[in-house]
Amino acid sequence: MNAQAQVLLLAQRALVQFPRNPVVLGFSVMPVLIMYLVFGGLFAGVAKLPGFPTDNYFEYLAPTAILLATVPGIGNVGVALAADFQSGYFHKLLTTPTSVGAVMLGRLLGDCLRLAVQAALVLLLAMALGAEVATGVPGALLMIVMGTLLGIVTFGALSANLAIRTRDAAAVQATQPMAFLLIFLTSAYQSSDQIESSDQIDSAVLRTIIELNPAEHVLRPMRELMLSGYDWGDIGIGFLVIAALGAVALPLTARNYRRAYS
Amino acid sequence: MTNSSAFAGTARSTLDELIRPARTQKLESARPLGDAIVLEGLAKTYPDGTAAVRGISLRVAAGESFGILGPNGAGKSTTIGMLGTLVKPTAGRASVAGFDVVAEPREVRRRIGFAVQQAGVDDFATPMELMVLQGRLHGLRKREAAARAGLLLRVIELAEEADRRLATLSGGTKRRVDLAASLMHLPPVLFLDEPTEGLDPRSRSGIWDTLDRLRSRLGVTLVLTTHYMEEGDRLCERIAIIDRGIVVAEGAPAALKATVGRDATLEDVYLHYTGRAFEDTRVAA
Repeated sequence: MNAQAQVLLLAQRALVQFPRNPVVLGFSVMPVLIMYLVFGGLFAGVAKLPGFPTDNYFEYLAPTAILLATVPGIGNVGVALAADFQSGYFHKLLTTPTSVGAVMLGRLLGDCLRLAVQAALVLLLAMALGAEVATGVPGALLMIVMGTLLGIVTFGALSANLAIRTRDAAAVQATQPMAFLLIFLTSAYQSSDQIESSDQIDSAVLRTIIELNPAEHVLRPMRELMLSGYDWGDIGIGFLVIAALGAVALPLTARNYRRAYS
Repeated sequence: MTNSSAFAGTARSTLDELIRPARTQKLESARPLGDAIVLEGLAKTYPDGTAAVRGISLRVAAGESFGILGPNGAGKSTTIGMLGTLVKPTAGRASVAGFDVVAEPREVRRRIGFAVQQAGVDDFATPMELMVLQGRLHGLRKREAAARAGLLLRVIELAEEADRRLATLSGGTKRRVDLAASLMHLPPVLFLDEPTEGLDPRSRSGIWDTLDRLRSRLGVTLVLTTHYMEEGDRLCERIAIIDRGIVVAEGAPAALKATVGRDATLEDVYLHYTGRAFEDTRVAA
């Protein structure tokens, strides 16, 4: 059996698991949908600001909600791997002619498919609230792909590495707030050029933090796909950022797995 | 060999059914060498400096049943882990079915079954799903894997539990499923790390009987670790007693007992060669 077939079999295993663990399904998608509805309602007035790119705040917020589904959601990869370590099943798989890479990719592929469905649910809710995807179905798919890839190279890699280090599902889950930090320190809720200074923090500082956050450079083209159209320059930058993060995160993860089994 | 358990009678025909097609199929075979397993100065020191295994040399003939006995912490699991390609040796070499465990790990894995120390199962799966996946990862077709899983579940008397979630089954039942999953590709070499730990006497006897029959009918080479002296006595043609990462005695159980005295037990053998009582070391470990 070749490696691709092994990856597909292991992805199938992950997909069978999800409906049997309704807690994972429910708790990974419901908070996102609720946050989308609540924040969309609370901040609806932001869309009335002069120069705001849309008059429907749910439209603006939809790419953020996709990231809220994909980035923290991919953390389940680490949780599941840690559970396999704890049960001994990871070792069991490694006594078959299956590589560590196939075990990890299979899990990742299964989770990515789950997240893609969850992200699509977010977009369906957005459309039910009057939002439109300016670039249609192809743009929507591209948004989901970008959001999922960002999740893999950031929180997916972090959770997988923590799973190797700690072999403890609870430790992996404890890092989930980091994923929200990554998303909130962007123009997730408001255009960065519309952020005003407060007594406590200067808007220039916030703008600098946002510009330095790699997630911002993925969220920006996603929002353009939602609101205006294809900006291939920004889309290219988004994929470059993902590739750069992946170039660091994925070899590091592979190295840690090799070390764990040397 | 005793076939006295109720298990033996019910499982006999199923086991024959399992073995029959296997004999006509092309299975992954060992290279045609005399010894199925060879260890030469095999050692493992973990990164924290713990020398778990300190140079073990052994040979296990094809079709032989061999036991590695010793208390917890003696180095049994590390040794069998190195043979199963789960742990990388830091010195020496080992080959399984004619293939080097470091240079040719994939070839080794094709030819081994390995029941891990904890029941290595996926709690969200059913026994049938787990075993079919195991078989398919070893290259069996879906239908073939399902048929073989069904037979093996009958052999271990779990046919009625085939579609229940593993999370709902007892620890002992999970261990039986793990063992059955290890046999899905009918490997020429079977490694069992503490195979009957936590099982009730009837299940233990059933597992022993199955292993006896598999070995005798398929010529499976069996290597197991255990801290149950009775298990070593019952299942193994030869044993190695390990203490603090080295082999302190090796031979047939009867021959080893004879070196100690009339009516000696394997516990007496352990005491003789290590100067410590086996139970004491278990508590200390």
